[in-house]
Amino acid sequence: MAGIRDNWRVIVLVLAILASTFALFSPTLAPNGGNSVGNATDSGPTNLQYGLQLSGGTRIRAPLIGVHASGVDFGQDNTSAVRSNIAAELQGVDRTDVRVRAAGQYRGVTQQTNIAEVTAENVSAQQLGDALSAAGYDYEETHDEVSQVTREQAIQVLRQKVNAAGLSGGEVRSTTTAGNEHFIIIEVPNRNRSSVLNLVESRGQVLIQAYHPDGSGGYTRTTLMTSEDLDDVGAAEQPQNTNAPPQVSVVVRESSAQQVQQRFVDTGVAQDGGTRCRYEESPNNTEPCILVVQDGQVINSFGMRDSLADSLRSGDWASNPTFVLTTTNFSEAQELSVNLQAGALPAKLDVGEGGEGSSMYVSSSQSEGFKRDSLIAGVIAVLAVSGVVFARYRRFAVAGPMVVTALSEVVILLGLAAAFSYPLDLSVIAGFIAAIGTGVDDLIIIADEVMAEGNVRSRKVFQSRFRKAFWVIGAAAATTIVALSPLAVLSLGDLKGFAIFTILGVIVGVLVTRPAYGDILRSLLTEDR
Amino acid sequence: VSGVDLPFGLPEVDYTDYSNRQLATIPLGVLLAALIVIGGFWAVTGAPVEPGVAFTGGTELRVAVGDTDQPRQEIRQAFSSQPSGIQEVAGDNSFIVTFDQDVSTRQLEQEANQAGFDVLSVESTSASFGASAQTQALIGVAVAFLGMSVLVFAMFRSFVPSIAVVLSAFSDIVIPIALMNVLGIQLTLGAVAALLMLIGYSVDSDILLNNHVLRRSGGFYESMYRAMETGITMTITSLAAMSVMTIVATIFGIGLLSSIGLILVFGLAADIMNTYLLNVSLLRWYKYEGVGR
Repeated sequence: MAGIRDNWRVIVLVLAILASTFALFSPTLAPNGGNSVGNATDSGPTNLQYGLQLSGGTRIRAPLIGVHASGVDFGQDNTSAVRSNIAAELQGVDRTDVRVRAAGQYRGVTQQTNIAEVTAENVSAQQLGDALSAAGYDYEETHDEVSQVTREQAIQVLRQKVNAAGLSGGEVRSTTTAGNEHFIIIEVPNRNRSSVLNLVESRGQVLIQAYHPDGSGGYTRTTLMTSEDLDDVGAAEQPQNTNAPPQVSVVVRESSAQQVQQRFVDTGVAQDGGTRCRYEESPNNTEPCILVVQDGQVINSFGMRDSLADSLRSGDWASNPTFVLTTTNFSEAQELSVNLQAGALPAKLDVGEGGEGSSMYVSSSQSEGFKRDSLIAGVIAVLAVSGVVFARYRRFAVAGPMVVTALSEVVILLGLAAAFSYPLDLSVIAGFIAAIGTGVDDLIIIADEVMAEGNVRSRKVFQSRFRKAFWVIGAAAATTIVALSPLAVLSLGDLKGFAIFTILGVIVGVLVTRPAYGDILRSLLTEDR
Repeated sequence: VSGVDLPFGLPEVDYTDYSNRQLATIPLGVLLAALIVIGGFWAVTGAPVEPGVAFTGGTELRVAVGDTDQPRQEIRQAFSSQPSGIQEVAGDNSFIVTFDQDVSTRQLEQEANQAGFDVLSVESTSASFGASAQTQALIGVAVAFLGMSVLVFAMFRSFVPSIAVVLSAFSDIVIPIALMNVLGIQLTLGAVAALLMLIGYSVDSDILLNNHVLRRSGGFYESMYRAMETGITMTITSLAAMSVMTIVATIFGIGLLSSIGLILVFGLAADIMNTYLLNVSLLRWYKYEGVGR
């Protein structure tokens, strides 16, 4: 019994190592419990998850473009009128770039006051404020960023885009800096930078429009449907007949079907006998056309078959409202499908040139290299530490347990990373190495203290010396924690992981491993057992 | 004077041969020189240390060029804009090519692909993001230093021993910054992490020294030599680990680890001087002359 009471610190250490081993290797704790999206960060034999640097992929971090004003008094005007009035006061800003929302609940986000928002580029918060004043609307405050509701919507759209494009393991989230700025972070494993950027940088606003005579000799465009009118969007398809263009089939919502049908008829697209579109060759002399417009660009134009036009005019179509959109090439069809499924981004990500976005791409070969090489760097650092302590003490009983104890700290830290699914990247590995460094320093303090002035004969002497050593260790631990805690809070690149794991290492060391080393040393050095 | 041998067969210095003023002159002189270097650099460039891509904004590509006699020339020809730096990674024959903020990352990627380079990684930081990182780094270092100082004063509760620790920690971070200026090393995120780490880590040997001298029975020199024996072992162990990590990480092109390692090597080396010349002289003055006053 005395054995357990005296060596409880060693027992705690052994238990901590066992728990960490369990967290690292137990299949019951494996990440991605089957149904989660993809397993791109799969970690092989352990439960460790790897960050981008060690698994490969792309990360984009950017704010959304836009400004908003809160506490806006709309007066007697309805939101639609407010929208037009604000747009009229801002040069080069279209009505569609202005969003006006009354206070209320929006998809789980509570908006406290009335908000007016502009998501066009190059409009400052100051300009929005001036426009509101000029239009006669009072407001409380302007903000140099989009509103929270818009941000949440953007995150949802981006998530759908990433999923619809089949980027498995992709993740979209927002982050807040210490200066209270908001950024969107998009992480996609195993994809290069441009393929991710292509997917997320455009608004992805798709309009299906009719191009038809305006009755006074010219042509005009009328929107037939948008992604909001759609119930179901198919994947891009290449029909068996290779001459046929790639296509995306869509099903229109029941609630919109009647209206959409009426627009087809009113614009003349569904005229008797169908339409033959010559928008490409002679836009000023064509029968009515259907245009697929993406972010303001016409990506395809086509006419309508006789039979479909008949069904639209007779009203049969609305009971089975399917429609096939065609494109000129397959990648356009893919993009169209993704954009229709996800809907339009309420605001653009600031990822362009001169924007505020930053990005990182690591190829899979490079990430494998980082994984292997950082392991080598860590192992060599441990060997260097071992070499120095063996040279210094020349006693295996002192130096051996020192190295083993320091390594057990790393095992516990790895276990914590696995248990909390904290993705390992280079900065976390730097934290492990720092933990070994501070850990061995403390073990040296313990060893020197308890071995001072010859042999440690009694347990009492040992206890008193150990306690003295611990004052210094506690003080040193406190300074390290204080010095690194700003880094754990600030969003300085990837350094958060370094700070978190160095601090965790110090805490685990002071509470678990370093006291246990004292016990091990005592049982090896004291004689009155 | 004492029965303690310094570790690793280091020659024992008889501190009684030197006055406090003599002991303190060297570290204070080095600190002054470091401050002059930093001040001069600041006056000329507008920043205390040359900021790297993470702080100025810009793009960093790592490319494998393949078999060629003149890889650097090929890299220069491949890109329409002039790189601000090309650094070879010895471990895998790849190159880290840096561009300043005015260049389109997308275009660089395309040009690298067109030239037949294998693009291993791309990192781009916007100028505004870099600027905010710069502010945050400054705030971080200031808060960390302040926090450490407050903690040290709370632990020792007397002015001279506390200020000795704080002053040597200050010198421990100033000297590496001056060395960066002299050697032309840019400030990276890793370097900032290392400076913060130094604030917490380099004071360990000072705390140990103060603890032995102030809180233990026994004479000044006996306590000091004992603290020195332990403290030098600690610092040399860390120096050994960080030196090899720096070398290995440089060979493999793991920038984060090599810059953390290098700055810690500078700072820990400075710490040996600051602890055992500056801190010791201040403590000895405090112990023999300062307490009675």
